[in-house]
Amino acid sequence: MGDDKRMHRIPDEVKFSDSHKDDFRGDVKEIGFHFAGYDWDADEEQFKVYLHYDQLYYWKLAEISKMGKGFLDGEFWATQCPNCGDKFFPPRVNCWDVECNLAKSEWIKLKGEGIVHTFTIAGWSGKSSLKRLPFVLAYVVVDGCKTAIANELRGIDPWNAEFGMPVKVVWAPKEDRRGTVTDWWFEPDDGWEPSPMNPEKERMKELCAPVYDWVKSMK
Amino acid sequence: MTRRVCIAGGAATPFDYPMHITPEAMIANCVVETQGDIPDFHLRDLQFMVYSHFSVHFGKQLTPEWIVHDHLGLVGLPHVRIENGGNTGGSALYGAFLAVKSGLFDVVGVAGWETMDNVTQSQGSEFIALASDTRYEALAGGIYPIYYAAMAYKFMKEHDLTEEDFALAALKNRNNAANNAKTQWYRGEYKKYGRPLTVDDIMNSRLISYPLKRYDCCLMSRGGAFTLVTSEEWAKKHADGRYVVIDGAGLSSCTIRAGDRLHFPGWTKLYGEGYPDMTEFAACRKSGEDAYDMAGIEYKRAVKEIDVAEIHDAFSSSETQIYKALHWCDKDNIKEFIREKRTFLESDGGGDLPANPGGGLMGYGHPVGATGLMSAIETYYHLTDMTPKKHLSARTYVPDAQTGLVNSHAGTGTSISNFILRRP
Repeated sequence: MGDDKRMHRIPDEVKFSDSHKDDFRGDVKEIGFHFAGYDWDADEEQFKVYLHYDQLYYWKLAEISKMGKGFLDGEFWATQCPNCGDKFFPPRVNCWDVECNLAKSEWIKLKGEGIVHTFTIAGWSGKSSLKRLPFVLAYVVVDGCKTAIANELRGIDPWNAEFGMPVKVVWAPKEDRRGTVTDWWFEPDDGWEPSPMNPEKERMKELCAPVYDWVKSMK
Repeated sequence: MTRRVCIAGGAATPFDYPMHITPEAMIANCVVETQGDIPDFHLRDLQFMVYSHFSVHFGKQLTPEWIVHDHLGLVGLPHVRIENGGNTGGSALYGAFLAVKSGLFDVVGVAGWETMDNVTQSQGSEFIALASDTRYEALAGGIYPIYYAAMAYKFMKEHDLTEEDFALAALKNRNNAANNAKTQWYRGEYKKYGRPLTVDDIMNSRLISYPLKRYDCCLMSRGGAFTLVTSEEWAKKHADGRYVVIDGAGLSSCTIRAGDRLHFPGWTKLYGEGYPDMTEFAACRKSGEDAYDMAGIEYKRAVKEIDVAEIHDAFSSSETQIYKALHWCDKDNIKEFIREKRTFLESDGGGDLPANPGGGLMGYGHPVGATGLMSAIETYYHLTDMTPKKHLSARTYVPDAQTGLVNSHAGTGTSISNFILRRP
């Protein structure tokens, strides 16, 4: 059993000699439960408590660690099934085809280029992304993978994005990289030019206008 | 003869944001309302409880079903909680169906709720996005409406549809909800309008993620629901004239990341290369086909055989995509299917397959754990002729319906269930 090449090795001990645990911590504090206040409605006899809860998580990338380290180094690592040859980004640790019976995948380095499979212009998002609105989220097939990966498409007026457009991977400055997908984004490939404005693009532009205004008004 | 499983009662609370009622009180209210419809039903009859609750993040409370169960006085009874994203309600119903079908239990309660008004809407969106692959998608700024918009835009282009086509589902469900006092639309924004919504209202609402605007999206809610799942023997004896048979049930799955289904080997083997891509809900098609097979419904006749449906309209676009996944239309006639208003009520110039007369997720609301149960209950009301009593008027009642479909849907189409309900 232990000799089966498909098994993932679990290290006995991990010593992080290169530690950056507080590099981007900012003002984040771990205080656990914190009761911030309360409200009372005497007429309806309704009481409400304000609870804040904060927690730091430790995401261990384990056998896909090569991807995280690759992001720091500006390299795009994917995996490939040695049996059927399917190529995956995000990396899968075993093949997705049940016929390959959990064949353990192998690492391959991808070229930072791809094709937009589909996209949308976000005018609303989660709390931590509101200030970036509006932005284009594109699903891109990178370097012949069998999958498409979602990330932001920058360097373009949102309404100019197109299905099938060629894009390149652009890396954040080295000092800002954290080993996560936020270390890179897509931009139009060099030499790509947007098509002329048309009624649909005008409509998108019109829908974006109040979003730009709203973001400007945010504190 | 095979054992038949029935829905023999059920009720939902109002859905709203915010709303001041605890989960245990929501479920207690639903049980009391169910007892009003099914006077023979007593808590003593319950043999097994299936709890339907999605996210412990909203309550900052793990195993919240333990609180509800205990406060209903059911200590000692076996209980489990089923969590399956947006398909939590459908999956819990599926679990209860299995429990009765197996012969182990005759009377199973399914209780679901969500308390999404415990956080702001943008924080709520981020919590729900934790049900995407957080390592890749949520981190990139994605939340569910954004993933759905990317899928919807490609679907729209490939089927030559327009924003206005999607808008029809958005206005239909909200206008249906205006006749249902429990719906979030009726309790809230409808009061401001006091009139049915038009296509222009949808088109003029703010951008969420192109091509979806605010009114193309469902509502974030607090709410609860309870469904009584029983053997036919129990239903006949205690709920005569007020029960339906679950004649078909299907549950299927797809990738967590929408971008991973362009060439997934399992789907390629079943449905051919290039399916479902990012435009089709393969898990809806598969679970629908399984439910149709069980109920003896030919796929191409589904649109004729089903009289009423409550489907998971998290977005106007996904309701439209579901029409196709359930074989109600195909690539060639989807545009006509939409524009002929086949899923509108007859009173609204509609067609033969009214979908979401109860208001759906866009009109009634979407407190995740309660949603699929609400859809089942609304369908059950039509098939037992209780709708005119439960809604403000008979306007949203589909008379003489014999067969209903209930659909519950999760993730980016990651888990989907379908049920066929029939009069006994």
